[in-house]
Amino acid sequence: MAKGVLVDITKCVGCGSCTVACKLWNDMKFSEKEPTMGPEAKLSANNWTVVRFNEVKKENGKVWRFVKTQCLHCQDAACASACFAKALQKTKDGPVIYYPHLCVGCRYCMIACPFNVPKYEWDKTFPLVSKCQMCSTKVAKGEAPACVSVCPAGVFKYGERDEILKEAKATIARDSKYVQEVYGEKQAGGTSWLYISDVPFEQLGFNTKISSVPVSTYSHNFLKYTPVVAVSWGIILTGLYHYTKRRNEISKDSGKNVKL
Amino acid sequence: MENRTAKPKTVSRRGFLKMLGGVSLTGVAASIAGCSQDPAGGKGWLPQQYQVASSWPVQVKGRIPIDPNNPSIVRDDKKCILCGQCIEACERVQTVYGYYETPIKDDITCVNCGQCTLWCPTAAITERDEIDKVVRALEDKNLHVVVQTAPATRVALGEEFGLPPGSIVEGKQVAALKKLGFDAVFDTNFTADLTIMEEGTELVRRVAGDLKGVKPLPQFTSCSPGWVKFCEYFYPDLLEHMSSCKSPQQMLGALVKTYYAKEKGIDPEKIFSVSIMPCTAKKYECNRPEMNDAGKHVGKEKLRDVDVVLTTRELARLIKMKGIDLTKLEDAQYDPLMGESTGAAVIFGATGGVMEAAVRSAYFLITKQNPPEALLNLTPVRGLQGVKEASLEIPGVGQVNVAISHGLSNARKLLDQLREDKKQGKPPRYHFIEFMSCPGGCISGGGQPRTSLPPSDQVRQARLNSIYQIDAKIYKKRLSHENQEVAMLYQKFLEKPNSHLAEELLHTEYVDRSKTLTAKKNG
Ligand code: SF4
Ligand code: SF4
Ligand code: SF4
Ligand code: SF4
Repeated sequence: MAKGVLVDITKCVGCGSCTVACKLWNDMKFSEKEPTMGPEAKLSANNWTVVRFNEVKKENGKVWRFVKTQCLHCQDAACASACFAKALQKTKDGPVIYYPHLCVGCRYCMIACPFNVPKYEWDKTFPLVSKCQMCSTKVAKGEAPACVSVCPAGVFKYGERDEILKEAKATIARDSKYVQEVYGEKQAGGTSWLYISDVPFEQLGFNTKISSVPVSTYSHNFLKYTPVVAVSWGIILTGLYHYTKRRNEISKDSGKNVKL
Repeated sequence: MENRTAKPKTVSRRGFLKMLGGVSLTGVAASIAGCSQDPAGGKGWLPQQYQVASSWPVQVKGRIPIDPNNPSIVRDDKKCILCGQCIEACERVQTVYGYYETPIKDDITCVNCGQCTLWCPTAAITERDEIDKVVRALEDKNLHVVVQTAPATRVALGEEFGLPPGSIVEGKQVAALKKLGFDAVFDTNFTADLTIMEEGTELVRRVAGDLKGVKPLPQFTSCSPGWVKFCEYFYPDLLEHMSSCKSPQQMLGALVKTYYAKEKGIDPEKIFSVSIMPCTAKKYECNRPEMNDAGKHVGKEKLRDVDVVLTTRELARLIKMKGIDLTKLEDAQYDPLMGESTGAAVIFGATGGVMEAAVRSAYFLITKQNPPEALLNLTPVRGLQGVKEASLEIPGVGQVNVAISHGLSNARKLLDQLREDKKQGKPPRYHFIEFMSCPGGCISGGGQPRTSLPPSDQVRQARLNSIYQIDAKIYKKRLSHENQEVAMLYQKFLEKPNSHLAEELLHTEYVDRSKTLTAKKNG
């Protein structure tokens, strides 16, 4: 049955163990320009998960809340429906997995994802799409994802999605400090990763405008155009990226603008 | 371990076009995937030490949170292996992490002690490196750069240069600092002696009942900034027991920009004040907003009493950066005015030392006579036992009870007991309690040279032995009230202990930090 992870935002102390565990398990590079923690933390090709720092008003003062962010592994994943090459696949275990050897680099998944999760390896010669795999190989063995296993503060619960959803609802019903909503229960047709919080989700940078209709329902309609569009877009965009990057670097080196 | 920092490769425009021409799309797809049909990621844990690829390392435990703006410590994620040793140090030794409830408020609770820097096996956690600031000040011809060295650095710095633990390098440390270009090298021991005069006087006043209602017994020592912050976080109800004396570092800082500036006719704004400390919490302490009393005194509130604190480890790096071999230097002397010290001051670096030094001078302050020989070797307060107690007879006062703890988990035992006693309306068990944040005291502070992992009592003991050796065998005097430069300071500047000016420059206040966390009940 499909697994899920419950993230209890009220318990996170912002240690970032989860971000490092992801790097170590998946052999991802660290980059000073792409922080995995703090107010500037953003998902990127190298950062499958980040812990975003938020300072929010609460009662009569300010509080700090950390939001562990990664792919939410939608039950009906828009990225997977948008991918004509079947490089992204929703598994019955829960994870939405990416197969690099099938990917043609069209980046339709990036446009389709309502949570803006898949990233492109702009810096590589042969770029791929990149996103959290929910540690599918661990999940397949019956183990929790790397980030989930390492948290010292007990932020996560891992298990059958149905059961942890029930638990999440029981927790928020029991304790009035929680916002009475489980984020991910309905968003985009429901996600494998669920969140509970004591601060309204929109104040923590969650997209709360997402409809509960699975986005994949829309994306099927434009799929028929993708092959041609994908190939040309892929090449043009990549070329432009390296071209501008190179130009910027040269102008940085010589201290003035250089025409190429 | 391989270099795990991303170094983006760049492609020139021509190279890119050539590449496009030469490679067909299938070629691209094949080479990116390396022919593997596996899903992305999840190949296993790195570093591979002791691991079978794709197995889950059982030693992985997660780590303590560190605020990126923490003034004392920083962490390099690239080096962290999630071994959880920092949690061991912070939670078990210091009882900080895990002693507050979630959700957190607007602070990442940390007493800045730096014990985690000593336990972290990969040195992912280190002190916040401020060597640059000192180098810049030394290069600035307009600045008069003054430095002070704590009691404990002189028995540990040598380890960074290959000398055995506990090697006494007092004179060489001074020589190195002079070689580095500091304009004056002072001894924090001088203000440790001064602390004894101020804190001893305060204690005598508390015992005599002069401060009834405001400052009850027992009196707590206040020279360990990690301990002070711990009390502010977890035991704010007991802050009335805290001596109002600043730590010796901050006393010297306040005097450099007033007394020294006046004596030498130097504009305090041109003075840059550095301290070499065994402690990461001192970095935080010198940044406490209220630590600008010299500035306030001279009407320039922006001036800090101490501008930069370097740990013993940073000093070692600075010395090495400048190509100086510490072991080859001829011993040099501290500069006069604030360079004299007694054995009572140097033992501030050891657990039990502040207590022992205070007892020596309190005896004098009360009886006007120097203490008997037995009080000069107060063995019950020495050594590495977590909580120590002693009772002494002081003529005119009767029995004085003292207690000592080091390592904050041990502090909790005394604090919980006192809380309970107060609740039940019992009279105080002790007159004076010494608290030090770090196990062993400053000799094993969070800024000292890293040793074995976790830090061993053997090294601590070697450093302690040297401290007591300096007290008993090397220094000529063993009593703070015999420090002539301290006497001169009172005569020329401060008048007398706890005088109005002394209160202004050498004493401080504390803040209740309990609002920044939800302390756990019963730990
Ligand atoms: S589930 Fe695995 S891949 Fe996803 S963020 Fe956690 S560690 Fe990274
Ligand atoms: S490991 Fe747990 S406590 Fe630490 S940042 Fe991640 S979710 Fe928060
Ligand atoms: S002790 Fe060091 S390496 Fe181990 S978890 Fe803590 S920071 Fe990481
Ligand atoms: S400095 Fe001390 S209190 Fe702060 S995290 Fe390290 S061990 Fe804990």
